[in-house]
Amino acid sequence: MKDSRFSFPKASRRDLLRAGMYGVSVTAGSALRMALFGQAAANAAESGPDGKILVVLELSGGNDGLNTVIPYGDDAYYKLRPNIGIPKNEVRKIDDHFGFSHGMAGFERLYKDGKLAIVHGCGYENPSFSHFTSMAYWHTAAPNSGEPYGWVGRLADAMAPSAPPNFIVDIDTRQSLAVRSRRHVPVVFDDPKKFTQEVFYDEREALQPAADGKPVDNPSRRFLLDTARSAKDASALVQEAWAKYRSPVDYGIVGLDLPKVAALIDAGMPTRLYYTAYRNNAFDTHVFQNDTHKRLLTYAADAVSAFLQDLTRIKRANDVVVMIFSEFGRRAPENVNLGTDHGAANLMFVAGNNVKGGQYGKPPSLTQLDAGDNLVYTTDFRRVYATMIDGWLGYHDTQQLLNGQFQPFEMFRA
Amino acid sequence: MLRGLATFVTFAVAAIAQTAGPAKWQNDLTPIGAADWNYDFAAHLLERAGFGGTPEEIQALAKMTPNQAIARLVRFQGTDTSKLPPFDESGIHDPGLEPFPPSRPAVTDQAKQKGEALGIKVKPSGNRRLQPVVNEFFYWLRASVLETNRVAYWWANRMLTTPRPLEEKMALFWHGHFASNEAKVRDYRKLMGELEIFQKQGTGNFRDLTVAVAKSPGMLAFLDAGVNVKGAANENFAREIMELFTMGVGHYTEKDIREAARAFTGWNFVDLQFVVNKDQHDDGEKTFLGQTGRFDGVDVIDIIMKQPVTADYIAGKIYRYFVREDLSPDLQKQLGAVLRDNHYEIKPLLEKIFLSRDFYSAASVGTQIKSPVMLAVNTYHKLGLKSIPGVPDFNVATGALGQQLFSPPTVAGWAGGQSWITPGLLLERANFGRDILFPDINFLPPDRYTANGEVRRVADRIRQGMDVSDATKDDTKTGVVAESNMAADRDEDFNTRYGSFRGWQMAIERVKAIPRDTAQVSLAQMVRHQDLSNTTQVVDYMIRRFMRVPPSDASRQKLVAFLNKELGTTDIAVAQTYMEDSLRLLLHLIMSQPEFQLS
Repeated sequence: MKDSRFSFPKASRRDLLRAGMYGVSVTAGSALRMALFGQAAANAAESGPDGKILVVLELSGGNDGLNTVIPYGDDAYYKLRPNIGIPKNEVRKIDDHFGFSHGMAGFERLYKDGKLAIVHGCGYENPSFSHFTSMAYWHTAAPNSGEPYGWVGRLADAMAPSAPPNFIVDIDTRQSLAVRSRRHVPVVFDDPKKFTQEVFYDEREALQPAADGKPVDNPSRRFLLDTARSAKDASALVQEAWAKYRSPVDYGIVGLDLPKVAALIDAGMPTRLYYTAYRNNAFDTHVFQNDTHKRLLTYAADAVSAFLQDLTRIKRANDVVVMIFSEFGRRAPENVNLGTDHGAANLMFVAGNNVKGGQYGKPPSLTQLDAGDNLVYTTDFRRVYATMIDGWLGYHDTQQLLNGQFQPFEMFRA
Repeated sequence: MLRGLATFVTFAVAAIAQTAGPAKWQNDLTPIGAADWNYDFAAHLLERAGFGGTPEEIQALAKMTPNQAIARLVRFQGTDTSKLPPFDESGIHDPGLEPFPPSRPAVTDQAKQKGEALGIKVKPSGNRRLQPVVNEFFYWLRASVLETNRVAYWWANRMLTTPRPLEEKMALFWHGHFASNEAKVRDYRKLMGELEIFQKQGTGNFRDLTVAVAKSPGMLAFLDAGVNVKGAANENFAREIMELFTMGVGHYTEKDIREAARAFTGWNFVDLQFVVNKDQHDDGEKTFLGQTGRFDGVDVIDIIMKQPVTADYIAGKIYRYFVREDLSPDLQKQLGAVLRDNHYEIKPLLEKIFLSRDFYSAASVGTQIKSPVMLAVNTYHKLGLKSIPGVPDFNVATGALGQQLFSPPTVAGWAGGQSWITPGLLLERANFGRDILFPDINFLPPDRYTANGEVRRVADRIRQGMDVSDATKDDTKTGVVAESNMAADRDEDFNTRYGSFRGWQMAIERVKAIPRDTAQVSLAQMVRHQDLSNTTQVVDYMIRRFMRVPPSDASRQKLVAFLNKELGTTDIAVAQTYMEDSLRLLLHLIMSQPEFQLS
């Protein structure tokens, strides 16, 4: 075991959780620490001792990959995008062909430090151009199928079949399909400060859950009771972690939810899988996209690079990898409104101290587009998922998990 | 004595369990008979076809026949909405604001090129020549948000007090279906225009409704239809009309989308008027869903309406909204047929649903998770309130729970069902209950005081007499400065952070304030009116009044024990004069039960 914190006995966890139930604050932060030690030990036993963490960041709305990592060395790019193509002199060049959008100083730094992998041409057969459908395909890792569970949820089921609490954290106002799990109830919250039930002293005893053991027929009621249990398991821990978290690192104007993830990691939360999103279809840039898109990328790059700095600060940078994706790229040619429509193949990014930085996968051709003027994918996106699952988290049966054979990339330092 | 109490408890449990029709009624669209009708059915109908009822309202409906109840609730017989007050405009829109540019850089670029933007001229010389333009930009952003929040209050009050709750509940459905939001539209007037369509036509004809929405400036702005022009069609509008508004994904090709987009070219708006720009409209021949002709947008909608899948899709979505999430393909086809046979008139479908055995079956009753807006309005209604309280703020509260009016997160609206609930939101819902019953005396109205730390910091420093550059510097961070923060610090023609502060100030001056009264509640009076003599009866009355699905018996016992301890007696007559606070705590505990979320 790498971390001495994992060696505590799990004995008193339940009692202490009860004390912290429903976020009634507990003195001196002991509930958090004690509760965690036991749980971390339980998780470690099930999924390998190293406690590596995966953070998924979704860029919702369909990020325009061509204006993110700009193929400035390819004349075809400027032919496709005479008005919204990013001029060579505004590109943050990383080699003689590609460069980042101007605001992505954070990514440029990570790339030059060898901590950022760019995966070209990610996509799948028969792409959907609907946000919701394509996002569901990415969430379930099952294009053109009706898979009901998310890939992160299935991964949790496989890594920790006994479903210990707090294994998956999804920070958002609603649960993502990606974390939907057969066994786990993901911890989903938005504002950690509000992730608590504020109760009056007199009410505490009456709020202890009181199941009467009778079977629950009403499926909605069953769902609510399960959710209440997960809330009880997590809220005191999350609140306390957030209350203690102070970071001098500048996450930029938006910051996304990554400071919250850093706070939980810093507090030693037993979570192995974090899911966050740049929310609300932000990247859906149909019109006048350049200013907006550049701003979105700046915020995202600021937040991710700050997150890695923050992890270094708390000495957990070697334990965490961030994977970034979007449900599709955008149409290769610009539209008449100085924007781009829904497209197909796109970039993915993987960032972290243990990532072997560089470029993976074959960049799609800008001259041989499909019939709808879209980039043709060269890398099945599930290869990148397999890379995270097998290469990073060390769970090897990706074939069963992803319903197919997907060769992982050699992306991590030994 | 003990034995007597135990007998009473058993009796009471039976009394609070809500009754539903038999399981075999599931999927059966046969109308219920007059003999089936009772208090619980009436309660279920009011809960779903409206925002719930008080015991008195439920009793009145239970005395009617099912057909009379439907005539009142669905056909609005004997109801009059003419006395409901219209929205009280602040009057904040300035003539130069239209067409409102898409972003701050677009505004400043325009000002640099033309010497004016948003009706404000660039200063001929001096420091920060574009600052007044930038201030005006932020003024409108802020003012439109604040006024939209006032419209939301007005609408929520209508939901609470209207004699036609279904009209508002249906409007809420369409607002989530034809979703558009303030963040993109940036004009409360256009959003109100859409709301008026939903209220006036929401229980009318689906085809006419779709045409009206497709021509509304709010929707045209939201889906960028205004820039869809001949020769370079923008597909967004056409795609969403088919995928989300009418047919659902998988019933058309990408080519159909491109052809439909051509038909919608030239559709635009000027301020609040729909226009077709003839020179931008592609008048050529299109082939759409197997038909060929020189179609325009309305033709496309009419062709969509001829597809059988359209009626199935809409009927299924309406059913899921009012009845339950899981819907068999067979039942969906039957419902689609009702809509089709009635030429897309919505009321016959609603009547069919609300009279059906399926609607009253165990699978449907008490299985729906309340949306946040429903949770709030339903709770206020059952408390007997006559207006939506100003504390807690309705929009902040429902927004924190995942459903702020005029802010659906995406064009797909709110996902609904189980997605309303997460562990975080479940706790937050209980906190909302507390904020109603024990209002926060430190409450600051969000339409007057900003929670935005940056605006507050700038405001403080300007008042201290600092110059704009120093006042707007962000020195709260150390180490590597994020690129976005660096960018905000560079421009000599204007200062964005100052504009943001000043715009806020200008908006507060012109937008009318939301009244901040707290909920006027007397639970003691409620209990006295019911002649309840002991604490168990009080707990059961409260559970039955406020919950559609009672908590487990063990939880109920805890509530009784709690009230006994709080009051120091089981005898209500003894506690008459001091029971209000204890009753409020009891109600907060009831609102904290997972089952409280069920409708």
